[in-house]
Amino acid sequence: MPTLLEFQRAVGRSIIAGDDAPAARHILSDGLPPQVRLGIYRNNFIATLTAALRLCHPAVHRLVGAEFFEGAARIFIAAEPPRRADLDAYGEGFPEFLAGFSPAGALPYLAGVARLEWAVNRALHAPDVEPLDLARLGAVAAADRDRIVFLPHPSVALVEADHPVDAIWRAVLAQDNDAMAAIDLDAGPIRLLVERRATGVEVTRLEEPAWRFAAALCASQPLWIAIAAAPEVDAATLLAEHLAAGRFIGFELVDGPITSCLHS
Amino acid sequence: MSTGAAAIGAERGPVPREAGIGLRFPHHQAVLDEQPRVAWLEVHTENYLGGGTPLAYLEAIRRDYPVSLHGVGLSLGSAEGLDLGHLDRVRRTVERIAPALVSEHLSWSIAEGRYLADLLPLPMTEEALGIVCRNVDRTQTVLRRRILVENPSSYLRWRHSTIPEWEFLAAVARRTGCGILCDVNNIYVSACNHGWHPSTYLAGHSVRQLEGSRVLRIDDHGSRVIPQVWELYAEALARFGPVPTLIEWDTDLPALAVLVDEAARAAALLDCARQKIADANAA
Repeated sequence: MPTLLEFQRAVGRSIIAGDDAPAARHILSDGLPPQVRLGIYRNNFIATLTAALRLCHPAVHRLVGAEFFEGAARIFIAAEPPRRADLDAYGEGFPEFLAGFSPAGALPYLAGVARLEWAVNRALHAPDVEPLDLARLGAVAAADRDRIVFLPHPSVALVEADHPVDAIWRAVLAQDNDAMAAIDLDAGPIRLLVERRATGVEVTRLEEPAWRFAAALCASQPLWIAIAAAPEVDAATLLAEHLAAGRFIGFELVDGPITSCLHS
Repeated sequence: MSTGAAAIGAERGPVPREAGIGLRFPHHQAVLDEQPRVAWLEVHTENYLGGGTPLAYLEAIRRDYPVSLHGVGLSLGSAEGLDLGHLDRVRRTVERIAPALVSEHLSWSIAEGRYLADLLPLPMTEEALGIVCRNVDRTQTVLRRRILVENPSSYLRWRHSTIPEWEFLAAVARRTGCGILCDVNNIYVSACNHGWHPSTYLAGHSVRQLEGSRVLRIDDHGSRVIPQVWELYAEALARFGPVPTLIEWDTDLPALAVLVDEAARAAALLDCARQKIADANAA
Protein backbone atom coordinates (compact mmCIF):
# COMPACT_ATOMS: atom_id res chain seq x y z
CA MET A 1 0.00 0.00 0.00
CA PRO A 2 1.46 3.39 -0.94
CA THR A 3 1.72 6.20 1.60
CA LEU A 4 -0.74 9.02 0.98
CA LEU A 5 2.14 11.21 -0.19
CA GLU A 6 3.36 8.64 -2.76
CA PHE A 7 -0.17 7.99 -3.88
CA GLN A 8 -1.03 11.67 -4.38
CA ARG A 9 2.17 12.22 -6.36
CA ALA A 10 1.22 9.35 -8.66
CA VAL A 11 -2.27 10.72 -9.23
CA GLY A 12 -0.88 14.24 -9.78
CA ARG A 13 1.50 12.91 -12.45
CA SER A 14 -1.38 11.08 -14.11
CA ILE A 15 -3.46 14.25 -14.28
CA ILE A 16 -0.70 16.64 -15.32
CA ALA A 17 1.57 14.46 -17.43
CA GLY A 18 -0.75 11.64 -18.52
CA ASP A 19 1.41 8.99 -16.84
CA ASP A 20 -1.53 6.79 -15.76
CA ALA A 21 0.00 3.44 -14.84
CA PRO A 22 1.25 4.19 -11.28
CA ALA A 23 -2.12 5.69 -10.25
CA ALA A 24 -4.34 3.31 -12.22
CA ARG A 25 -3.27 0.25 -10.24
CA HIS A 26 -4.84 1.75 -7.11
CA ILE A 27 -8.28 2.15 -8.67
CA LEU A 28 -11.10 -0.35 -8.15
CA SER A 29 -12.14 -1.36 -11.63
CA ASP A 30 -15.86 -1.79 -11.42
CA GLY A 31 -17.32 -1.07 -14.85
CA LEU A 32 -15.09 1.61 -16.34
CA PRO A 33 -11.37 0.97 -16.95
CA PRO A 34 -9.14 2.95 -14.49
CA GLN A 35 -7.59 4.98 -17.33
CA VAL A 36 -11.03 6.22 -18.33
CA ARG A 37 -11.78 7.30 -14.75
CA LEU A 38 -8.45 9.12 -14.48
CA GLY A 39 -9.24 10.69 -17.85
CA ILE A 40 -12.35 12.31 -16.35
CA TYR A 41 -10.17 14.16 -13.84
CA ARG A 42 -7.52 15.02 -16.45
CA ASN A 43 -10.12 16.47 -18.84
CA ASN A 44 -11.65 18.47 -16.01
CA PHE A 45 -8.19 19.78 -15.03
CA ILE A 46 -7.51 21.00 -18.57
CA ALA A 47 -11.03 22.40 -19.06
CA THR A 48 -10.98 24.31 -15.75
CA LEU A 49 -7.56 25.84 -16.37
CA THR A 50 -8.35 26.64 -20.00
CA ALA A 51 -11.47 28.47 -18.81
CA ALA A 52 -9.37 30.38 -16.24
CA LEU A 53 -6.89 31.43 -18.98
CA ARG A 54 -9.75 32.40 -21.29
CA LEU A 55 -11.36 34.52 -18.55
CA CYS A 56 -8.27 36.67 -18.15
CA HIS A 57 -7.34 36.67 -21.85
CA PRO A 58 -10.63 37.37 -23.68
CA ALA A 59 -8.96 39.43 -26.42
CA VAL A 60 -6.26 36.81 -27.08
CA HIS A 61 -9.05 34.22 -27.25
CA ARG A 62 -10.92 36.24 -29.89
CA LEU A 63 -7.77 37.02 -31.87
CA VAL A 64 -6.73 33.37 -32.29
CA GLY A 65 -10.11 31.62 -32.08
CA ALA A 66 -11.32 28.95 -29.67
CA GLU A 67 -9.57 25.98 -31.27
CA PHE A 68 -6.14 27.61 -31.44
CA PHE A 69 -6.55 28.99 -27.90
CA GLU A 70 -7.43 25.58 -26.48
CA GLY A 71 -4.47 23.98 -28.23
CA ALA A 72 -2.06 26.62 -26.94
CA ALA A 73 -3.59 26.47 -23.44
CA ARG A 74 -3.19 22.69 -23.30
CA ILE A 75 0.56 22.95 -23.99
CA PHE A 76 0.97 25.82 -21.52
CA ILE A 77 -0.98 24.00 -18.78
CA ALA A 78 1.21 20.89 -19.11
CA ALA A 79 4.35 23.07 -18.95
CA GLU A 80 3.20 25.37 -16.13
CA PRO A 81 0.47 23.78 -14.00
CA PRO A 82 -0.84 26.14 -11.29
CA ARG A 83 1.00 26.54 -8.01
CA ARG A 84 -1.94 28.17 -6.27
CA ALA A 85 -5.56 27.21 -5.75
CA ASP A 86 -6.93 30.67 -6.52
CA LEU A 87 -7.15 30.53 -10.28
CA ASP A 88 -7.46 34.31 -10.58
CA ALA A 89 -3.69 34.19 -10.05
CA TYR A 90 -3.09 31.53 -12.74
CA GLY A 91 -1.49 32.37 -16.06
CA GLU A 92 1.25 34.84 -15.24
CA GLY A 93 3.58 32.98 -17.60
CA PHE A 94 1.06 32.74 -20.45
CA PRO A 95 2.17 35.96 -22.27
CA GLU A 96 5.82 34.79 -22.32
CA PHE A 97 4.67 31.36 -23.46
CA LEU A 98 2.78 32.96 -26.36
CA ALA A 99 5.82 35.09 -27.23
CA GLY A 100 7.79 31.90 -27.84
CA PHE A 101 4.95 29.89 -29.39
CA SER A 102 5.87 29.66 -33.07
CA PRO A 103 2.36 28.81 -34.40
CA ALA A 104 1.32 32.28 -33.15
CA GLY A 105 4.09 33.95 -35.17
CA ALA A 106 1.62 35.44 -37.67
CA LEU A 107 0.30 37.72 -34.89
CA PRO A 108 3.44 39.56 -33.66
CA TYR A 109 1.34 41.67 -31.26
CA LEU A 110 -0.33 38.66 -29.59
CA ALA A 111 2.06 38.37 -26.63
CA GLY A 112 1.79 42.14 -26.08
CA VAL A 113 -2.00 41.92 -25.92
CA ALA A 114 -1.62 39.00 -23.49
CA ARG A 115 0.73 41.07 -21.28
CA LEU A 116 -1.82 43.88 -21.18
CA GLU A 117 -4.62 41.45 -20.35
CA TRP A 118 -2.56 39.90 -17.55
CA ALA A 119 -1.93 43.38 -16.09
CA VAL A 120 -5.68 44.13 -16.30
CA ASN A 121 -6.50 40.81 -14.62
CA ARG A 122 -3.98 41.50 -11.89
CA ALA A 123 -5.44 44.98 -11.34
CA LEU A 124 -8.98 43.54 -11.16
CA HIS A 125 -8.09 41.07 -8.43
CA ALA A 126 -5.44 42.99 -6.47
CA PRO A 127 -6.16 43.26 -2.75
CA ASP A 128 -7.75 46.43 -1.41
CA VAL A 129 -5.00 48.49 0.22
CA GLU A 130 -5.31 52.02 1.59
CA PRO A 131 -3.21 54.58 -0.31
CA LEU A 132 -0.21 56.20 1.33
CA ASP A 133 -1.08 58.66 4.10
CA LEU A 134 0.27 61.93 2.70
CA ALA A 135 0.69 63.40 6.19
CA ARG A 136 3.30 60.70 6.87
CA LEU A 137 5.11 61.68 3.70
CA GLY A 138 4.90 65.37 4.64
CA ALA A 139 6.71 64.61 7.87
CA VAL A 140 9.85 63.50 5.99
CA ALA A 141 12.55 66.17 6.26
CA ALA A 142 13.23 67.96 2.96
CA ALA A 143 16.83 66.79 3.01
CA ASP A 144 15.72 63.16 3.20
CA ARG A 145 13.15 63.20 0.39
CA ASP A 146 15.55 61.99 -2.30
CA ARG A 147 16.01 58.79 -0.29
CA ILE A 148 12.35 57.81 -0.39
CA VAL A 149 11.50 54.43 -1.92
CA PHE A 150 7.78 54.05 -2.66
CA LEU A 151 5.74 50.85 -2.42
CA PRO A 152 3.33 50.72 -5.40
CA HIS A 153 -0.33 49.75 -5.03
CA PRO A 154 -0.70 46.05 -5.98
CA SER A 155 -3.09 46.95 -8.81
CA VAL A 156 -0.54 49.19 -10.58
CA ALA A 157 1.39 47.80 -13.56
CA LEU A 158 3.55 49.43 -16.20
CA VAL A 159 3.41 47.72 -19.58
CA GLU A 160 5.58 48.29 -22.64
CA ALA A 161 4.72 46.95 -26.08
CA ASP A 162 6.13 47.13 -29.61
CA HIS A 163 2.62 47.49 -31.07
CA PRO A 164 -0.48 49.53 -30.17
CA VAL A 165 -1.85 46.69 -28.05
CA ASP A 166 -4.21 48.96 -26.10
CA ALA A 167 -6.01 49.95 -29.32
CA ILE A 168 -6.05 46.30 -30.48
CA TRP A 169 -7.36 45.15 -27.08
CA ARG A 170 -10.18 47.71 -27.07
CA ALA A 171 -11.17 47.07 -30.69
CA VAL A 172 -11.20 43.29 -30.22
CA LEU A 173 -13.27 43.42 -27.01
CA ALA A 174 -15.71 45.87 -28.60
CA GLN A 175 -15.74 43.66 -31.74
CA ASP A 176 -15.19 46.88 -33.68
CA ASN A 177 -13.79 45.85 -37.07
CA ASP A 178 -13.50 49.44 -38.29
CA ALA A 179 -11.37 50.41 -35.30
CA MET A 180 -9.28 47.27 -35.80
CA ALA A 181 -8.73 48.08 -39.49
CA ALA A 182 -7.68 51.65 -38.63
CA ILE A 183 -4.85 50.52 -36.33
CA ASP A 184 -1.34 51.21 -37.64
CA LEU A 185 0.69 48.22 -36.50
CA ASP A 186 3.93 50.02 -37.38
CA ALA A 187 3.19 53.13 -35.30
CA GLY A 188 6.01 52.23 -32.93
CA PRO A 189 6.19 51.13 -29.30
CA ILE A 190 3.74 52.28 -26.64
CA ARG A 191 3.89 52.52 -22.86
CA LEU A 192 0.92 51.96 -20.58
CA LEU A 193 -0.10 52.46 -17.00
CA VAL A 194 -2.67 49.92 -15.76
CA GLU A 195 -4.42 50.46 -12.44
CA ARG A 196 -7.69 49.92 -10.60
CA ARG A 197 -9.59 53.09 -9.79
CA ALA A 198 -12.87 53.35 -7.87
CA THR A 199 -14.66 53.18 -11.23
CA GLY A 200 -12.85 50.13 -12.57
CA VAL A 201 -9.59 49.18 -14.24
CA GLU A 202 -8.03 51.96 -16.35
CA VAL A 203 -5.44 51.60 -19.09
CA THR A 204 -3.66 54.90 -19.86
CA ARG A 205 -0.93 55.68 -22.38
CA LEU A 206 2.07 57.53 -21.00
CA GLU A 207 4.82 59.39 -22.83
CA GLU A 208 8.09 57.45 -22.73
CA PRO A 209 9.92 59.71 -20.19
CA ALA A 210 6.92 59.81 -17.80
CA TRP A 211 6.59 56.02 -18.10
CA ARG A 212 10.32 55.59 -17.39
CA PHE A 213 9.98 57.76 -14.26
CA ALA A 214 6.90 55.80 -13.04
CA ALA A 215 8.57 52.47 -13.88
CA ALA A 216 11.65 53.40 -11.83
CA LEU A 217 9.48 54.39 -8.84
CA CYS A 218 7.38 51.21 -9.09
CA ALA A 219 10.56 49.12 -9.32
CA SER A 220 11.53 50.40 -5.82
CA GLN A 221 14.19 52.80 -7.04
CA PRO A 222 14.79 55.68 -4.61
CA LEU A 223 13.39 59.01 -5.74
CA TRP A 224 16.80 60.47 -6.66
CA ILE A 225 17.51 57.58 -9.01
CA ALA A 226 14.05 57.81 -10.60
CA ILE A 227 14.63 61.53 -11.19
CA ALA A 228 18.07 60.89 -12.63
CA ALA A 229 16.59 58.23 -14.91
CA ALA A 230 14.11 60.73 -16.39
CA PRO A 231 15.80 64.16 -16.25
CA GLU A 232 13.48 65.62 -18.88
CA VAL A 233 10.24 65.23 -16.85
CA ASP A 234 8.69 67.57 -14.29
CA ALA A 235 9.19 65.06 -11.49
CA ALA A 236 7.42 67.09 -8.80
CA THR A 237 4.22 67.37 -10.83
CA LEU A 238 4.24 63.71 -11.91
CA LEU A 239 4.90 62.53 -8.37
CA ALA A 240 2.03 64.69 -7.05
CA GLU A 241 -0.27 63.08 -9.64
CA HIS A 242 0.81 59.56 -8.65
CA LEU A 243 0.26 60.33 -4.98
CA ALA A 244 -3.14 61.98 -5.58
CA ALA A 245 -4.22 58.91 -7.60
CA GLY A 246 -3.26 56.62 -4.70
CA ARG A 247 -0.67 54.68 -6.74
CA PHE A 248 1.61 54.25 -3.72
CA ILE A 249 0.69 52.61 -0.44
CA GLY A 250 3.81 53.12 1.60
CA PHE A 251 7.44 54.22 1.56
CA GLU A 252 10.74 53.80 3.33
CA LEU A 253 14.00 55.69 3.43
CA VAL A 254 17.15 54.11 2.04
CA ASP A 255 20.72 55.29 1.96
CA GLY A 256 20.99 58.22 -0.43
CA PRO A 257 23.88 59.38 -2.63
CA ILE A 258 25.35 61.66 0.06
CA THR A 259 25.10 59.09 2.83
CA SER A 260 26.70 56.51 0.54
CA CYS A 261 29.60 58.90 -0.11
CA LEU A 262 30.11 59.42 3.59
CA HIS A 263 30.18 55.68 4.19
CA SER A 264 32.67 54.96 1.43
CA MET B 1 -18.16 49.79 7.08
CA SER B 2 -16.77 46.30 7.26
CA THR B 3 -16.34 46.41 11.04
CA GLY B 4 -20.09 47.07 11.39
CA ALA B 5 -20.93 44.10 9.19
CA ALA B 6 -18.55 41.95 11.21
CA ALA B 7 -20.20 42.97 14.46
CA ILE B 8 -23.67 42.16 13.10
CA GLY B 9 -22.36 38.88 11.73
CA ALA B 10 -21.01 37.90 15.11
CA GLU B 11 -24.42 38.55 16.65
CA ARG B 12 -26.23 36.66 13.95
CA GLY B 13 -24.47 33.41 14.73
CA PRO B 14 -24.94 30.41 12.46
CA VAL B 15 -27.04 30.28 9.33
CA PRO B 16 -30.79 29.91 9.98
CA ARG B 17 -32.56 26.57 9.67
CA GLU B 18 -34.02 27.76 6.39
CA ALA B 19 -33.26 27.48 2.70
CA GLY B 20 -30.51 29.53 1.06
CA ILE B 21 -28.96 29.63 -2.40
CA GLY B 22 -25.52 29.68 -3.98
CA LEU B 23 -24.56 33.16 -5.20
CA ARG B 24 -22.52 33.71 -8.37
CA PHE B 25 -21.13 36.92 -9.90
CA PRO B 26 -23.90 37.41 -12.48
CA HIS B 27 -26.46 37.66 -9.66
CA HIS B 28 -24.60 40.18 -7.46
CA GLN B 29 -26.53 43.22 -8.64
CA ALA B 30 -29.89 41.42 -8.81
CA VAL B 31 -29.55 40.26 -5.18
CA LEU B 32 -28.82 43.82 -4.03
CA ASP B 33 -31.65 45.28 -6.14
CA GLU B 34 -34.34 42.65 -5.65
CA GLN B 35 -33.55 41.36 -2.13
CA PRO B 36 -34.92 37.90 -2.99
CA ARG B 37 -36.70 35.93 -0.27
CA VAL B 38 -33.95 33.46 0.58
CA ALA B 39 -32.63 32.95 4.08
CA TRP B 40 -28.89 32.90 3.35
CA LEU B 41 -26.30 32.88 0.58
CA GLU B 42 -23.24 30.78 -0.13
CA VAL B 43 -20.28 31.89 -2.26
CA HIS B 44 -17.08 30.18 -3.36
CA THR B 45 -14.32 31.53 -1.13
CA GLU B 46 -11.72 31.43 -3.91
CA ASN B 47 -13.69 33.98 -5.95
CA TYR B 48 -13.29 36.56 -3.17
CA LEU B 49 -9.64 36.32 -2.18
CA GLY B 50 -8.52 39.57 -3.81
CA GLY B 51 -10.11 42.98 -3.54
CA GLY B 52 -12.00 45.23 -5.90
CA THR B 53 -15.52 44.70 -7.15
CA PRO B 54 -16.26 41.09 -6.04
CA LEU B 55 -15.39 41.75 -2.41
CA ALA B 56 -17.16 45.13 -2.42
CA TYR B 57 -20.34 43.37 -3.62
CA LEU B 58 -20.00 40.63 -1.02
CA GLU B 59 -19.59 43.20 1.76
CA ALA B 60 -22.73 44.99 0.59
CA ILE B 61 -24.73 41.75 0.31
CA ARG B 62 -23.39 40.67 3.71
CA ARG B 63 -25.32 43.54 5.32
CA ASP B 64 -28.62 41.96 4.23
CA TYR B 65 -27.97 38.20 4.33
CA PRO B 66 -25.99 35.68 6.37
CA VAL B 67 -23.19 34.52 4.08
CA SER B 68 -21.40 31.18 3.91
CA LEU B 69 -17.86 30.96 2.49
CA HIS B 70 -17.53 27.63 0.71
CA GLY B 71 -13.94 26.83 -0.20
CA VAL B 72 -12.63 24.57 -2.96
CA GLY B 73 -8.89 25.17 -2.69
CA LEU B 74 -7.60 24.30 0.78
CA SER B 75 -6.95 20.66 -0.12
CA LEU B 76 -7.69 19.32 3.36
CA GLY B 77 -6.58 15.85 2.27
CA SER B 78 -3.08 16.74 1.03
CA ALA B 79 -0.36 14.65 2.67
CA GLU B 80 2.17 17.43 2.08
CA GLY B 81 0.15 19.74 4.35
CA LEU B 82 -1.79 22.91 3.67
CA ASP B 83 -0.66 25.77 1.45
CA LEU B 84 -0.24 28.31 4.25
CA GLY B 85 -0.27 31.23 1.80
CA HIS B 86 -3.69 30.13 0.59
CA LEU B 87 -4.93 29.59 4.12
CA ASP B 88 -3.78 33.10 5.00
CA ARG B 89 -5.66 34.61 2.04
CA VAL B 90 -8.76 32.70 3.16
CA ARG B 91 -8.25 34.03 6.69
CA ARG B 92 -8.19 37.63 5.45
CA THR B 93 -11.46 37.16 3.57
CA VAL B 94 -13.04 35.40 6.56
CA GLU B 95 -12.03 38.29 8.83
CA ARG B 96 -13.39 40.88 6.43
CA ILE B 97 -16.71 39.17 5.67
CA ALA B 98 -17.37 37.59 9.10
CA PRO B 99 -19.37 34.79 7.47
CA ALA B 100 -22.02 32.75 9.27
CA LEU B 101 -20.36 29.59 7.98
CA VAL B 102 -17.03 28.49 6.55
CA SER B 103 -16.86 25.18 4.74
CA GLU B 104 -14.47 23.04 2.71
CA HIS B 105 -14.36 19.58 1.16
CA LEU B 106 -13.32 16.09 2.19
CA SER B 107 -10.97 15.79 -0.75
CA TRP B 108 -7.53 16.77 -1.98
CA SER B 109 -6.36 19.00 -4.82
CA ILE B 110 -2.64 19.59 -4.40
CA ALA B 111 0.33 17.28 -4.98
CA GLU B 112 3.98 18.36 -5.23
CA GLY B 113 2.82 21.97 -4.89
CA ARG B 114 0.67 21.75 -8.02
CA TYR B 115 -3.04 22.52 -7.88
CA LEU B 116 -5.00 19.85 -9.76
CA ALA B 117 -8.15 21.99 -10.11
CA ASP B 118 -10.51 19.31 -8.84
CA LEU B 119 -11.88 17.83 -5.64
CA LEU B 120 -10.11 14.48 -5.80
CA PRO B 121 -11.32 11.54 -3.71
CA LEU B 122 -9.13 10.34 -0.87
CA PRO B 123 -8.27 6.76 -0.11
CA MET B 124 -10.33 6.13 3.03
CA THR B 125 -7.48 4.91 5.25
CA GLU B 126 -6.37 5.51 8.84
CA GLU B 127 -3.35 7.43 7.49
CA ALA B 128 -5.58 9.73 5.40
CA LEU B 129 -7.92 10.20 8.36
CA GLY B 130 -5.00 11.40 10.49
CA ILE B 131 -3.82 13.78 7.75
CA VAL B 132 -7.28 15.25 7.17
CA CYS B 133 -7.74 15.77 10.93
CA ARG B 134 -4.35 17.51 11.17
CA ASN B 135 -5.22 19.83 8.27
CA VAL B 136 -8.71 20.57 9.63
CA ASP B 137 -7.18 21.34 13.06
CA ARG B 138 -4.68 23.72 11.45
CA THR B 139 -7.42 25.44 9.43
CA GLN B 140 -9.67 25.88 12.44
CA THR B 141 -6.75 27.24 14.48
CA VAL B 142 -5.75 29.81 11.83
CA LEU B 143 -9.34 30.85 11.09
CA ARG B 144 -10.17 30.77 14.82
CA ARG B 145 -13.51 29.11 14.15
CA ARG B 146 -15.13 25.79 13.41
CA ILE B 147 -15.46 24.82 9.76
CA LEU B 148 -17.86 22.42 8.08
CA VAL B 149 -16.53 19.67 5.82
CA GLU B 150 -18.50 18.44 2.82
CA ASN B 151 -18.77 14.91 1.49
CA PRO B 152 -17.45 14.77 -2.11
CA SER B 153 -18.95 13.22 -5.19
CA SER B 154 -16.50 10.83 -6.78
CA TYR B 155 -16.02 8.97 -10.03
CA LEU B 156 -13.72 6.33 -8.66
CA ARG B 157 -12.74 4.44 -5.55
CA TRP B 158 -9.26 3.47 -4.43
CA ARG B 159 -8.38 -0.16 -3.80
CA HIS B 160 -6.71 0.52 -0.49
CA SER B 161 -9.72 2.27 1.10
CA THR B 162 -10.78 0.49 4.27
CA ILE B 163 -13.23 2.91 5.94
CA PRO B 164 -16.69 3.72 4.58
CA GLU B 165 -16.82 7.39 3.56
CA TRP B 166 -19.62 8.25 6.02
CA GLU B 167 -17.66 6.74 8.92
CA PHE B 168 -14.53 8.58 7.82
CA LEU B 169 -16.37 11.92 7.74
CA ALA B 170 -18.06 11.28 11.09
CA ALA B 171 -14.61 10.47 12.58
CA VAL B 172 -13.16 13.75 11.23
CA ALA B 173 -16.06 15.63 12.87
CA ARG B 174 -15.62 13.73 16.14
CA ARG B 175 -11.85 14.23 16.35
CA THR B 176 -11.63 17.87 15.19
CA GLY B 177 -14.97 19.29 16.30
CA CYS B 178 -15.73 20.37 12.73
CA GLY B 179 -19.28 20.22 11.39
CA ILE B 180 -20.57 18.30 8.41
CA LEU B 181 -21.88 19.86 5.24
CA CYS B 182 -23.93 16.97 3.95
CA ASP B 183 -24.40 17.29 0.19
CA VAL B 184 -27.40 15.17 -0.69
CA ASN B 185 -26.72 15.34 -4.40
CA ASN B 186 -23.15 14.14 -3.90
CA ILE B 187 -24.44 11.20 -1.85
CA TYR B 188 -26.78 10.37 -4.69
CA VAL B 189 -24.01 10.64 -7.34
CA SER B 190 -21.49 8.62 -5.34
CA ALA B 191 -24.12 6.03 -4.44
CA CYS B 192 -24.99 5.61 -8.13
CA ASN B 193 -21.30 5.40 -9.11
CA HIS B 194 -20.27 2.98 -6.42
CA GLY B 195 -23.39 0.95 -5.71
CA TRP B 196 -23.98 2.23 -2.19
CA HIS B 197 -27.43 2.70 -0.76
CA PRO B 198 -27.94 6.43 -0.10
CA SER B 199 -29.93 5.66 3.06
CA THR B 200 -26.97 3.79 4.52
CA TYR B 201 -24.89 6.91 3.97
CA LEU B 202 -27.46 9.14 5.71
CA ALA B 203 -27.75 6.64 8.56
CA GLY B 204 -23.99 6.94 9.03
CA HIS B 205 -24.50 10.62 9.80
CA SER B 206 -27.14 10.29 12.47
CA VAL B 207 -24.67 10.78 15.31
CA ARG B 208 -26.43 13.07 17.76
CA GLN B 209 -23.33 14.86 19.04
CA LEU B 210 -23.19 16.62 15.69
CA GLU B 211 -26.41 18.43 16.52
CA GLY B 212 -26.25 22.04 15.39
CA SER B 213 -23.24 21.56 13.17
CA ARG B 214 -24.95 20.07 10.20
CA VAL B 215 -26.03 21.76 7.01
CA LEU B 216 -27.63 20.11 4.02
CA ARG B 217 -26.61 21.06 0.56
CA ILE B 218 -28.18 20.20 -2.75
CA ASP B 219 -25.60 20.92 -5.41
CA ASP B 220 -27.23 19.99 -8.65
CA HIS B 221 -24.60 21.80 -10.74
CA GLY B 222 -26.39 22.69 -13.93
CA SER B 223 -30.04 21.70 -13.77
CA ARG B 224 -33.18 21.49 -11.64
CA VAL B 225 -32.92 19.12 -8.68
CA ILE B 226 -34.06 15.68 -9.81
CA PRO B 227 -36.93 13.84 -8.02
CA GLN B 228 -34.63 11.16 -6.54
CA VAL B 229 -32.55 13.85 -4.86
CA TRP B 230 -35.65 15.62 -3.48
CA GLU B 231 -36.68 12.24 -2.01
CA LEU B 232 -33.27 11.81 -0.45
CA TYR B 233 -33.48 15.37 0.92
CA ALA B 234 -36.86 14.61 2.51
CA GLU B 235 -35.32 11.47 4.04
CA ALA B 236 -32.43 13.54 5.39
CA LEU B 237 -34.88 16.00 6.97
CA ALA B 238 -36.79 13.12 8.54
CA ARG B 239 -33.52 11.90 10.02
CA PHE B 240 -31.87 15.20 11.05
CA GLY B 241 -34.90 17.47 11.55
CA PRO B 242 -35.13 20.90 9.90
CA VAL B 243 -31.52 21.98 9.28
CA PRO B 244 -30.11 24.84 7.19
CA THR B 245 -30.31 23.90 3.53
CA LEU B 246 -28.57 25.28 0.49
CA ILE B 247 -29.51 25.04 -3.18
CA GLU B 248 -26.54 25.43 -5.47
CA TRP B 249 -26.20 25.55 -9.22
CA ASP B 250 -22.58 25.59 -10.46
CA THR B 251 -22.78 25.64 -14.21
CA ASP B 252 -25.33 26.95 -16.73
CA LEU B 253 -26.42 29.45 -14.10
CA PRO B 254 -30.18 30.09 -14.44
CA ALA B 255 -32.07 33.30 -13.70
CA LEU B 256 -32.07 34.21 -10.02
CA ALA B 257 -35.82 33.48 -9.90
CA VAL B 258 -35.20 29.80 -10.74
CA LEU B 259 -32.83 29.40 -7.78
CA VAL B 260 -35.25 31.23 -5.50
CA ASP B 261 -37.98 28.88 -6.70
CA GLU B 262 -35.88 25.79 -5.90
CA ALA B 263 -35.12 27.26 -2.46
CA ALA B 264 -38.87 27.77 -1.90
CA ARG B 265 -39.36 24.08 -2.62
CA ALA B 266 -36.75 23.17 -0.02
CA ALA B 267 -38.37 25.67 2.38
CA ALA B 268 -41.72 23.90 1.95
CA LEU B 269 -40.09 20.56 2.86
CA LEU B 270 -38.44 22.23 5.87
CA ASP B 271 -41.89 23.50 6.98
CA CYS B 272 -43.20 19.97 6.58
CA ALA B 273 -40.39 18.62 8.77
CA ARG B 274 -41.13 21.25 11.44
CA GLN B 275 -44.86 20.41 11.32
CA LYS B 276 -44.12 16.71 11.79
CA ILE B 277 -42.10 17.48 14.90
CA ALA B 278 -44.85 19.75 16.24
CA ASP B 279 -47.46 17.04 15.57
CA ALA B 280 -45.32 14.42 17.27
CA ASN B 281 -44.84 16.68 20.32
CA ALA B 282 -48.59 17.37 20.46
CA ALA B 283 -49.46 13.68 20.31
